[in-house]
Amino acid sequence: MLVFIQIAFVLALWQWLGGGLIPSPGKIGLRILEIIKSGNFWDNFLMSLTLTLKGMCIALVIALAFSYLSLIPFFRPMAKFVIKCRYLTLTGLIFLFTLLTSDGSQLKLSLLLFGIVPFFVTSYLSVIDGIDRQEFELCSTLGMNKWRTLWEVIIVGRLDQVFEVMRQNFAIAWMMITMVEGLSMSEGGLGTMLIKSNKYIDLATVFAILVIIFLIGVFFDYILGALRFWLFPYTKIQLRNK
Amino acid sequence: MTHQKNEEILKAENVSLKYGEKTILRDINMTIHNIVRPDLCQGQVVSLIGRSGIGKTQLFKILAGMNKPTSGAVLIGADMHEVREGEVGVVSQNYILFNHRTIRRNLEIALEHNDTNYTDKDKADIIKDYGDKFNLSEHLDKYPMQLSGGQRQRVSILQQALTSNKFILLDEPFSGLDALVIDKVVDLLLKISTIDELSTLIIVSHDIENSMAISDTVFIMANQPNKEGATITEKLDLIDMGMAWNPEIKSDHQFQDMVAHMKYKI
Repeated sequence: MLVFIQIAFVLALWQWLGGGLIPSPGKIGLRILEIIKSGNFWDNFLMSLTLTLKGMCIALVIALAFSYLSLIPFFRPMAKFVIKCRYLTLTGLIFLFTLLTSDGSQLKLSLLLFGIVPFFVTSYLSVIDGIDRQEFELCSTLGMNKWRTLWEVIIVGRLDQVFEVMRQNFAIAWMMITMVEGLSMSEGGLGTMLIKSNKYIDLATVFAILVIIFLIGVFFDYILGALRFWLFPYTKIQLRNK
Repeated sequence: MTHQKNEEILKAENVSLKYGEKTILRDINMTIHNIVRPDLCQGQVVSLIGRSGIGKTQLFKILAGMNKPTSGAVLIGADMHEVREGEVGVVSQNYILFNHRTIRRNLEIALEHNDTNYTDKDKADIIKDYGDKFNLSEHLDKYPMQLSGGQRQRVSILQQALTSNKFILLDEPFSGLDALVIDKVVDLLLKISTIDELSTLIIVSHDIENSMAISDTVFIMANQPNKEGATITEKLDLIDMGMAWNPEIKSDHQFQDMVAHMKYKI
Protein backbone atom coordinates (compact mmCIF):
# COMPACT_ATOMS: atom_id res chain seq x y z
CA MET A 1 0.00 0.00 0.00
CA LEU A 2 2.83 2.33 0.98
CA VAL A 3 4.55 1.58 -2.33
CA PHE A 4 1.42 2.54 -4.31
CA ILE A 5 1.03 5.79 -2.37
CA GLN A 6 4.68 6.67 -2.99
CA ILE A 7 4.42 5.86 -6.71
CA ALA A 8 1.24 7.94 -6.99
CA PHE A 9 2.97 10.84 -5.21
CA VAL A 10 6.02 10.71 -7.51
CA LEU A 11 3.81 10.51 -10.63
CA ALA A 12 1.70 13.44 -9.45
CA LEU A 13 4.84 15.48 -8.77
CA TRP A 14 6.26 14.54 -12.17
CA GLN A 15 2.99 15.49 -13.90
CA TRP A 16 2.86 18.82 -12.07
CA LEU A 17 6.52 19.77 -12.68
CA GLY A 18 6.73 18.16 -16.14
CA GLY A 19 6.45 19.74 -19.56
CA GLY A 20 10.17 20.17 -20.32
CA LEU A 21 12.41 17.68 -22.07
CA ILE A 22 10.95 14.65 -20.31
CA PRO A 23 7.32 14.00 -21.26
CA SER A 24 4.76 14.00 -18.47
CA PRO A 25 3.28 10.73 -17.13
CA GLY A 26 -0.09 11.57 -18.64
CA LYS A 27 1.46 11.96 -22.08
CA ILE A 28 3.44 8.74 -21.69
CA GLY A 29 0.30 6.92 -20.50
CA LEU A 30 -1.65 8.06 -23.56
CA ARG A 31 1.20 7.02 -25.84
CA ILE A 32 1.29 3.58 -24.16
CA LEU A 33 -2.40 3.13 -25.00
CA GLU A 34 -1.77 4.20 -28.61
CA ILE A 35 1.17 1.77 -28.93
CA ILE A 36 -0.81 -1.12 -27.47
CA LYS A 37 -3.74 -0.42 -29.80
CA SER A 38 -1.49 -0.24 -32.86
CA GLY A 39 -1.36 -3.40 -34.94
CA ASN A 40 2.40 -3.94 -34.95
CA PHE A 41 2.94 -3.73 -31.16
CA TRP A 42 1.84 -7.29 -30.45
CA ASP A 43 3.98 -8.64 -33.31
CA ASN A 44 6.99 -6.78 -31.93
CA PHE A 45 6.21 -7.84 -28.38
CA LEU A 46 5.88 -11.50 -29.36
CA MET A 47 9.08 -11.32 -31.38
CA SER A 48 11.03 -9.99 -28.37
CA LEU A 49 9.40 -12.39 -25.94
CA THR A 50 9.96 -15.43 -28.17
CA LEU A 51 13.60 -14.51 -28.69
CA THR A 52 14.12 -13.96 -24.94
CA LEU A 53 12.43 -17.23 -23.94
CA LYS A 54 14.27 -19.16 -26.66
CA GLY A 55 17.54 -17.61 -25.50
CA MET A 56 16.72 -18.39 -21.85
CA CYS A 57 15.90 -22.04 -22.58
CA ILE A 58 19.04 -22.67 -24.61
CA ALA A 59 21.17 -20.69 -22.15
CA LEU A 60 19.71 -22.75 -19.30
CA VAL A 61 20.71 -26.03 -20.97
CA ILE A 62 24.22 -24.80 -21.82
CA ALA A 63 24.77 -23.22 -18.39
CA LEU A 64 23.54 -26.28 -16.48
CA ALA A 65 25.75 -28.52 -18.62
CA PHE A 66 28.78 -26.33 -17.84
CA SER A 67 27.87 -26.16 -14.15
CA TYR A 68 27.31 -29.90 -13.69
CA LEU A 69 30.39 -30.76 -15.74
CA SER A 70 32.44 -28.39 -13.59
CA LEU A 71 32.18 -30.98 -10.81
CA ILE A 72 34.56 -33.12 -12.87
CA PRO A 73 38.03 -31.59 -12.39
CA PHE A 74 38.77 -31.76 -16.15
CA PHE A 75 35.90 -29.39 -16.95
CA ARG A 76 36.45 -26.99 -14.04
CA PRO A 77 38.84 -24.65 -15.95
CA MET A 78 36.33 -24.40 -18.81
CA ALA A 79 33.55 -23.38 -16.44
CA LYS A 80 35.93 -20.85 -14.84
CA PHE A 81 36.70 -19.43 -18.28
CA VAL A 82 32.99 -19.12 -19.11
CA ILE A 83 32.54 -17.16 -15.87
CA LYS A 84 35.30 -14.75 -16.86
CA CYS A 85 33.58 -14.18 -20.23
CA ARG A 86 31.27 -11.79 -18.35
CA TYR A 87 34.00 -9.21 -18.88
CA LEU A 88 34.07 -9.64 -22.65
CA THR A 89 32.14 -6.86 -24.29
CA LEU A 90 29.64 -7.92 -26.92
CA THR A 91 30.26 -4.87 -29.07
CA GLY A 92 33.70 -6.08 -30.07
CA LEU A 93 32.37 -9.48 -31.04
CA ILE A 94 29.45 -8.43 -33.22
CA PHE A 95 31.54 -8.61 -36.40
CA LEU A 96 32.73 -12.14 -35.57
CA PHE A 97 29.19 -13.31 -34.75
CA THR A 98 27.88 -11.76 -37.98
CA LEU A 99 30.40 -13.84 -39.93
CA LEU A 100 29.62 -16.99 -37.99
CA THR A 101 25.81 -16.82 -38.29
CA SER A 102 23.72 -17.08 -41.43
CA ASP A 103 20.89 -14.63 -40.68
CA GLY A 104 19.76 -11.87 -38.34
CA SER A 105 17.71 -14.20 -36.17
CA GLN A 106 20.70 -16.45 -35.49
CA LEU A 107 22.90 -13.44 -34.87
CA LYS A 108 20.52 -12.07 -32.23
CA LEU A 109 20.13 -15.44 -30.57
CA SER A 110 23.85 -16.17 -30.43
CA LEU A 111 24.65 -12.73 -29.04
CA LEU A 112 21.94 -13.15 -26.44
CA LEU A 113 23.32 -16.56 -25.47
CA PHE A 114 26.85 -15.22 -25.28
CA GLY A 115 25.56 -12.49 -23.03
CA ILE A 116 23.47 -14.62 -20.67
CA VAL A 117 25.38 -17.90 -20.30
CA PRO A 118 28.37 -16.51 -18.32
CA PHE A 119 26.02 -14.85 -15.80
CA PHE A 120 23.93 -17.99 -15.54
CA VAL A 121 27.01 -20.21 -14.96
CA THR A 122 28.39 -17.72 -12.40
CA SER A 123 25.16 -17.73 -10.39
CA TYR A 124 24.66 -21.48 -10.55
CA LEU A 125 28.26 -22.31 -9.64
CA SER A 126 27.95 -20.13 -6.56
CA VAL A 127 24.84 -22.14 -5.64
CA ILE A 128 26.80 -25.38 -6.01
CA ASP A 129 29.79 -24.00 -4.10
CA GLY A 130 27.47 -22.98 -1.27
CA ILE A 131 26.18 -26.51 -0.66
CA ASP A 132 26.90 -27.70 2.88
CA ARG A 133 29.50 -30.49 2.80
CA GLN A 134 27.41 -32.36 5.35
CA GLU A 135 24.72 -32.94 2.71
CA PHE A 136 27.22 -35.00 0.71
CA GLU A 137 28.24 -36.80 3.91
CA LEU A 138 24.59 -37.61 4.58
CA CYS A 139 24.36 -39.22 1.16
CA SER A 140 27.40 -41.36 1.79
CA THR A 141 26.13 -42.48 5.19
CA LEU A 142 22.89 -43.51 3.50
CA GLY A 143 24.92 -45.60 1.07
CA MET A 144 24.22 -43.53 -2.04
CA ASN A 145 26.59 -43.80 -4.97
CA LYS A 146 28.07 -40.70 -6.64
CA TRP A 147 25.39 -40.47 -9.32
CA ARG A 148 22.58 -40.68 -6.80
CA THR A 149 24.35 -38.08 -4.66
CA LEU A 150 24.66 -35.77 -7.67
CA TRP A 151 20.99 -36.30 -8.46
CA GLU A 152 19.73 -35.81 -4.88
CA VAL A 153 21.91 -32.94 -3.70
CA ILE A 154 22.89 -30.96 -6.77
CA ILE A 155 20.22 -31.62 -9.40
CA VAL A 156 16.92 -32.17 -7.55
CA GLY A 157 18.04 -30.55 -4.32
CA ARG A 158 18.91 -27.27 -6.04
CA LEU A 159 16.20 -27.19 -8.73
CA ASP A 160 14.43 -24.40 -6.88
CA GLN A 161 17.59 -22.34 -7.04
CA VAL A 162 17.83 -22.92 -10.78
CA PHE A 163 14.49 -21.13 -10.92
CA GLU A 164 15.83 -18.29 -8.80
CA VAL A 165 18.91 -18.01 -11.01
CA MET A 166 16.59 -18.04 -14.05
CA ARG A 167 14.53 -15.25 -12.54
CA GLN A 168 17.60 -13.10 -11.97
CA ASN A 169 18.98 -13.82 -15.42
CA PHE A 170 15.67 -13.15 -17.12
CA ALA A 171 16.26 -9.55 -16.12
CA ILE A 172 19.66 -9.58 -17.84
CA ALA A 173 18.21 -11.24 -20.96
CA TRP A 174 15.29 -8.81 -21.08
CA MET A 175 17.67 -5.90 -20.70
CA MET A 176 19.91 -7.22 -23.49
CA ILE A 177 17.08 -7.93 -25.88
CA THR A 178 16.70 -4.29 -26.88
CA MET A 179 20.41 -4.11 -27.64
CA VAL A 180 20.61 -7.24 -29.81
CA GLU A 181 17.40 -6.35 -31.62
CA GLY A 182 19.00 -3.09 -32.62
CA LEU A 183 21.66 -5.02 -34.51
CA SER A 184 19.21 -6.70 -36.87
CA MET A 185 16.07 -4.63 -37.16
CA SER A 186 14.45 -6.44 -40.10
CA GLU A 187 12.52 -8.82 -37.82
CA GLY A 188 11.21 -6.11 -35.52
CA GLY A 189 10.88 -6.41 -31.74
CA LEU A 190 10.55 -3.96 -28.87
CA GLY A 191 14.24 -3.06 -29.23
CA THR A 192 13.67 -2.11 -32.87
CA MET A 193 10.68 0.04 -31.89
CA LEU A 194 12.80 1.76 -29.27
CA ILE A 195 15.71 2.47 -31.59
CA LYS A 196 13.41 3.84 -34.33
CA SER A 197 11.72 6.16 -31.84
CA ASN A 198 15.10 7.30 -30.56
CA LYS A 199 16.18 8.07 -34.11
CA TYR A 200 13.25 10.47 -34.59
CA ILE A 201 13.70 11.88 -31.07
CA ASP A 202 10.10 10.85 -30.31
CA LEU A 203 10.65 10.96 -26.55
CA ALA A 204 7.04 10.22 -25.55
CA THR A 205 7.17 6.96 -27.55
CA VAL A 206 10.65 6.15 -26.22
CA PHE A 207 9.46 6.56 -22.63
CA ALA A 208 6.24 4.68 -23.37
CA ILE A 209 8.19 1.70 -24.78
CA LEU A 210 10.59 1.85 -21.82
CA VAL A 211 7.64 1.69 -19.41
CA ILE A 212 6.13 -1.23 -21.36
CA ILE A 213 9.47 -3.10 -21.30
CA PHE A 214 9.81 -2.35 -17.58
CA LEU A 215 6.28 -3.57 -16.75
CA ILE A 216 6.65 -6.75 -18.80
CA GLY A 217 9.95 -7.45 -17.03
CA VAL A 218 8.40 -6.92 -13.60
CA PHE A 219 5.45 -9.15 -14.58
CA PHE A 220 7.72 -12.03 -15.65
CA ASP A 221 9.83 -11.57 -12.53
CA TYR A 222 6.68 -12.04 -10.47
CA ILE A 223 5.52 -15.03 -12.56
CA LEU A 224 8.86 -16.82 -12.22
CA GLY A 225 8.92 -16.12 -8.47
CA ALA A 226 5.36 -17.41 -8.03
CA LEU A 227 6.14 -20.45 -10.18
CA ARG A 228 9.11 -21.22 -7.95
CA PHE A 229 6.96 -21.16 -4.80
CA TRP A 230 4.28 -23.25 -6.49
CA LEU A 231 6.64 -25.91 -7.82
CA PHE A 232 8.88 -26.02 -4.74
CA PRO A 233 6.73 -25.20 -1.71
CA TYR A 234 9.62 -25.71 0.73
CA THR A 235 11.34 -22.57 -0.61
CA LYS A 236 8.58 -20.49 0.97
CA ILE A 237 9.26 -22.11 4.35
CA GLN A 238 13.01 -21.56 3.99
CA LEU A 239 12.49 -17.88 3.21
CA ARG A 240 10.12 -17.50 6.14
CA ASN A 241 12.65 -19.11 8.50
CA LYS A 242 15.50 -16.79 7.42
CA MET B 1 22.63 -58.81 35.23
CA THR B 2 23.34 -61.85 33.09
CA HIS B 3 25.15 -61.00 29.93
CA GLN B 4 27.80 -62.30 27.68
CA LYS B 5 30.47 -60.46 25.75
CA ASN B 6 30.81 -62.17 22.44
CA GLU B 7 32.78 -61.35 19.31
CA GLU B 8 34.40 -58.01 18.52
CA ILE B 9 32.21 -55.89 16.25
CA LEU B 10 34.24 -52.69 16.02
CA LYS B 11 37.86 -52.08 16.69
CA ALA B 12 40.13 -49.06 16.38
CA GLU B 13 43.75 -50.15 16.15
CA ASN B 14 46.54 -47.66 16.81
CA VAL B 15 44.65 -44.87 15.08
CA SER B 16 46.67 -41.68 14.78
CA LEU B 17 45.92 -38.47 12.92
CA LYS B 18 48.39 -35.74 12.06
CA TYR B 19 47.90 -32.47 10.24
CA GLY B 20 51.38 -31.57 9.05
CA GLU B 21 53.57 -31.77 12.12
CA LYS B 22 50.67 -31.42 14.54
CA THR B 23 49.37 -34.61 16.13
CA ILE B 24 45.62 -34.51 16.69
CA LEU B 25 44.97 -38.12 17.67
CA ARG B 26 47.55 -40.53 19.04
CA ASP B 27 47.41 -44.33 19.30
CA ILE B 28 43.68 -44.66 19.72
CA ASN B 29 42.79 -48.21 20.65
CA MET B 30 39.24 -49.23 21.44
CA THR B 31 37.23 -52.39 21.00
CA ILE B 32 33.48 -52.86 21.07
CA HIS B 33 32.13 -56.36 21.67
CA ASN B 34 28.72 -57.78 20.89
CA ILE B 35 26.94 -57.85 24.24
CA VAL B 36 24.23 -60.47 24.47
CA ARG B 37 21.57 -60.63 27.17
CA PRO B 38 19.58 -63.85 27.33
CA ASP B 39 15.97 -63.56 26.11
CA LEU B 40 16.47 -59.92 25.11
CA CYS B 41 17.02 -58.31 21.73
CA GLN B 42 19.28 -55.49 22.69
CA GLY B 43 22.09 -53.62 21.02
CA GLN B 44 24.34 -51.33 22.96
CA VAL B 45 25.25 -47.73 23.55
CA VAL B 46 28.89 -46.70 23.72
CA SER B 47 30.05 -43.22 24.64
CA LEU B 48 33.20 -41.43 23.69
CA ILE B 49 33.61 -38.57 26.13
CA GLY B 50 36.08 -35.76 25.88
CA ARG B 51 36.22 -32.02 26.27
CA SER B 52 35.39 -29.70 23.38
CA GLY B 53 38.11 -29.23 20.78
CA ILE B 54 40.09 -32.31 21.74
CA GLY B 55 39.60 -34.08 18.41
CA LYS B 56 36.37 -36.00 19.00
CA THR B 57 34.93 -34.94 15.66
CA GLN B 58 38.11 -36.06 13.89
CA LEU B 59 37.84 -39.48 15.53
CA PHE B 60 34.12 -39.48 14.73
CA LYS B 61 34.88 -39.03 11.04
CA ILE B 62 37.55 -41.71 11.09
CA LEU B 63 35.17 -44.17 12.79
CA ALA B 64 32.57 -43.38 10.11
CA GLY B 65 35.08 -43.99 7.32
CA MET B 66 34.79 -40.38 6.15
CA ASN B 67 38.42 -39.54 6.92
CA LYS B 68 41.46 -41.75 6.71
CA PRO B 69 43.76 -41.85 9.73
CA THR B 70 47.45 -41.07 9.23
CA SER B 71 48.19 -44.51 10.64
CA GLY B 72 46.19 -47.38 12.11
CA ALA B 73 42.78 -48.61 11.05
CA VAL B 74 39.17 -48.97 12.10
CA LEU B 75 37.83 -52.48 11.59
CA ILE B 76 34.17 -53.51 11.68
CA GLY B 77 31.85 -56.43 11.05
CA ALA B 78 32.21 -60.14 11.61
CA ASP B 79 35.18 -60.33 9.22
CA MET B 80 36.83 -57.26 10.79
CA HIS B 81 37.33 -55.42 7.50
CA GLU B 82 38.44 -51.82 7.29
CA VAL B 83 35.50 -49.46 7.63
CA ARG B 84 34.20 -47.92 4.41
CA GLU B 85 32.25 -44.69 4.07
CA GLY B 86 28.54 -45.51 4.22
CA GLU B 87 28.88 -48.54 6.52
CA VAL B 88 28.38 -46.45 9.63
CA GLY B 89 25.42 -44.13 10.04
CA VAL B 90 26.12 -40.58 11.13
CA VAL B 91 23.85 -38.13 12.90
CA SER B 92 25.55 -34.78 12.82
CA GLN B 93 25.09 -32.11 15.45
CA ASN B 94 22.87 -29.99 13.21
CA TYR B 95 20.70 -32.89 12.01
CA ILE B 96 21.21 -32.64 8.27
CA LEU B 97 18.24 -33.86 6.22
CA PHE B 98 17.17 -33.37 2.61
CA ASN B 99 15.32 -30.07 2.94
CA HIS B 100 13.65 -30.45 -0.46
CA ARG B 101 12.00 -33.73 0.58
CA THR B 102 9.19 -34.33 3.02
CA ILE B 103 9.93 -36.32 6.18
CA ARG B 104 8.19 -39.34 4.63
CA ARG B 105 10.40 -39.11 1.54
CA ASN B 106 13.52 -38.64 3.68
CA LEU B 107 12.70 -41.90 5.45
CA GLU B 108 11.81 -43.65 2.19
CA ILE B 109 15.22 -42.73 0.78
CA ALA B 110 16.81 -44.40 3.81
CA LEU B 111 14.75 -47.54 3.18
CA GLU B 112 15.70 -47.51 -0.52
CA HIS B 113 19.30 -47.90 0.61
CA ASN B 114 18.57 -50.71 3.03
CA ASP B 115 19.94 -54.15 2.08
CA THR B 116 16.39 -55.51 2.00
CA ASN B 117 14.37 -54.78 -1.12
CA TYR B 118 11.16 -53.44 0.35
CA THR B 119 8.02 -53.02 -1.73
CA ASP B 120 6.27 -49.64 -1.67
CA LYS B 121 3.68 -51.08 0.68
CA ASP B 122 6.38 -52.41 3.02
CA LYS B 123 8.02 -49.02 3.06
CA ALA B 124 4.73 -47.26 3.80
CA ASP B 125 4.01 -49.72 6.64
CA ILE B 126 7.49 -49.38 8.16
CA ILE B 127 7.36 -45.59 8.03
CA LYS B 128 3.89 -45.56 9.57
CA ASP B 129 5.02 -47.93 12.29
CA TYR B 130 8.13 -45.94 13.16
CA GLY B 131 6.25 -42.67 12.79
CA ASP B 132 3.83 -43.86 15.50
CA LYS B 133 6.62 -45.21 17.68
CA PHE B 134 8.67 -42.01 17.57
CA ASN B 135 5.82 -39.47 17.64
CA LEU B 136 6.39 -38.33 14.09
CA SER B 137 3.11 -39.48 12.47
CA GLU B 138 1.63 -36.01 12.19
CA HIS B 139 4.83 -34.60 10.71
CA LEU B 140 5.45 -37.14 7.95
CA ASP B 141 4.15 -34.88 5.18
CA LYS B 142 5.95 -31.78 6.41
CA TYR B 143 9.33 -30.52 5.24
CA PRO B 144 12.35 -30.61 7.60
CA MET B 145 12.33 -26.80 7.92
CA GLN B 146 8.87 -27.03 9.48
CA LEU B 147 10.07 -29.19 12.38
CA SER B 148 11.65 -28.21 15.67
CA GLY B 149 15.28 -29.11 16.43
CA GLY B 150 14.21 -32.07 18.57
CA GLN B 151 11.89 -33.42 15.87
CA ARG B 152 14.59 -33.05 13.22
CA GLN B 153 16.99 -34.94 15.45
CA ARG B 154 14.46 -37.78 15.79
CA VAL B 155 14.01 -37.96 12.02
CA SER B 156 17.76 -37.84 11.50
CA ILE B 157 18.37 -40.72 13.92
CA LEU B 158 15.46 -42.70 12.49
CA GLN B 159 16.70 -42.12 8.94
CA GLN B 160 20.04 -43.66 9.83
CA ALA B 161 18.38 -46.50 11.70
CA LEU B 162 16.27 -47.37 8.65
CA THR B 163 19.33 -48.02 6.49
CA SER B 164 21.05 -51.33 7.07
CA ASN B 165 23.71 -49.67 9.19
CA LYS B 166 24.06 -51.40 12.52
CA PHE B 167 26.42 -48.70 13.76
CA ILE B 168 25.20 -45.17 14.24
CA LEU B 169 27.52 -42.41 15.35
CA LEU B 170 25.91 -39.42 17.05
CA ASP B 171 27.78 -36.16 17.34
CA GLU B 172 26.83 -34.30 20.53
CA PRO B 173 23.20 -35.53 20.62
CA PHE B 174 22.43 -33.60 23.84
CA SER B 175 23.94 -30.33 22.78
CA GLY B 176 21.65 -27.31 23.01
CA LEU B 177 18.65 -29.29 24.32
CA ASP B 178 16.75 -28.55 27.49
CA ALA B 179 16.42 -31.16 30.27
CA LEU B 180 12.95 -32.32 29.18
CA VAL B 181 14.01 -32.84 25.59
CA ILE B 182 17.19 -34.63 26.71
CA ASP B 183 15.02 -37.21 28.52
CA LYS B 184 13.10 -37.76 25.28
CA VAL B 185 16.34 -38.15 23.33
CA VAL B 186 17.58 -40.68 25.87
CA ASP B 187 14.34 -42.66 25.43
CA LEU B 188 14.69 -42.46 21.66
CA LEU B 189 18.28 -43.67 21.71
CA LEU B 190 17.40 -46.58 23.97
CA LYS B 191 14.53 -47.52 21.65
CA ILE B 192 16.81 -47.34 18.61
CA SER B 193 19.40 -49.49 20.35
CA THR B 194 16.82 -52.25 20.78
CA ILE B 195 15.83 -52.40 17.10
CA ASP B 196 18.44 -55.06 16.39
CA GLU B 197 20.71 -57.28 18.46
CA LEU B 198 23.73 -55.73 16.72
CA SER B 199 22.53 -52.12 16.84
CA THR B 200 25.37 -50.08 18.26
CA LEU B 201 25.05 -46.40 19.01
CA ILE B 202 28.29 -44.53 19.52
CA ILE B 203 27.75 -41.21 21.21
CA VAL B 204 30.51 -38.64 20.89
CA SER B 205 29.92 -35.99 23.51
CA HIS B 206 31.28 -33.75 26.22
CA ASP B 207 28.11 -34.25 28.27
CA ILE B 208 29.37 -36.75 30.83
CA GLU B 209 26.22 -37.30 32.86
CA ASN B 210 23.74 -37.92 30.05
CA SER B 211 26.17 -39.96 27.99
CA MET B 212 27.09 -42.21 30.90
CA ALA B 213 23.46 -42.63 31.97
CA ILE B 214 22.53 -44.50 28.82
CA SER B 215 25.82 -46.20 27.99
CA ASP B 216 27.07 -49.71 28.51
CA THR B 217 30.67 -48.73 27.85
CA VAL B 218 32.38 -45.37 28.11
CA PHE B 219 35.70 -44.39 26.58
CA ILE B 220 37.39 -41.31 27.97
CA MET B 221 39.35 -39.27 25.49
CA ALA B 222 41.94 -36.86 26.85
CA ASN B 223 45.47 -35.54 26.50
CA GLN B 224 48.27 -37.07 28.52
CA PRO B 225 50.99 -34.98 30.14
CA ASN B 226 53.90 -34.09 27.84
CA LYS B 227 52.40 -35.96 24.91
CA GLU B 228 50.88 -34.31 21.89
CA GLY B 229 47.52 -35.54 20.59
CA ALA B 230 44.47 -36.94 22.33
CA THR B 231 44.09 -40.61 23.07
CA ILE B 232 41.78 -43.00 24.92
CA THR B 233 42.90 -42.72 28.51
CA GLU B 234 40.29 -44.88 30.18
CA LYS B 235 37.56 -47.40 29.49
CA LEU B 236 34.63 -47.80 31.88
CA ASP B 237 32.62 -50.99 31.66
CA LEU B 238 29.36 -49.78 33.18
CA ILE B 239 27.81 -53.27 32.92
CA ASP B 240 30.48 -54.77 35.14
CA MET B 241 30.16 -51.78 37.45
CA GLY B 242 26.41 -52.41 37.74
CA MET B 243 25.51 -49.05 36.29
CA ALA B 244 24.10 -50.03 32.90
CA TRP B 245 20.49 -50.67 31.89
CA ASN B 246 19.15 -48.74 34.86
CA PRO B 247 16.66 -45.97 33.93
CA GLU B 248 17.02 -44.40 37.40
CA ILE B 249 20.81 -44.35 37.39
CA LYS B 250 21.05 -40.56 37.44
CA SER B 251 19.70 -40.50 40.99
CA ASP B 252 22.28 -43.05 42.16
CA HIS B 253 24.93 -41.49 44.48
CA GLN B 254 27.69 -43.76 43.25
CA PHE B 255 26.89 -42.76 39.68
CA GLN B 256 26.89 -39.05 40.52
CA ASP B 257 30.25 -39.44 42.31
CA MET B 258 31.64 -41.06 39.23
CA VAL B 259 30.33 -38.27 36.99
CA ALA B 260 31.97 -35.70 39.27
CA HIS B 261 35.20 -37.70 39.20
CA MET B 262 35.13 -37.94 35.38
CA LYS B 263 35.00 -34.17 35.03
CA TYR B 264 38.59 -34.05 36.25
CA LYS B 265 39.70 -36.74 33.87
CA ILE B 266 38.76 -35.14 30.60
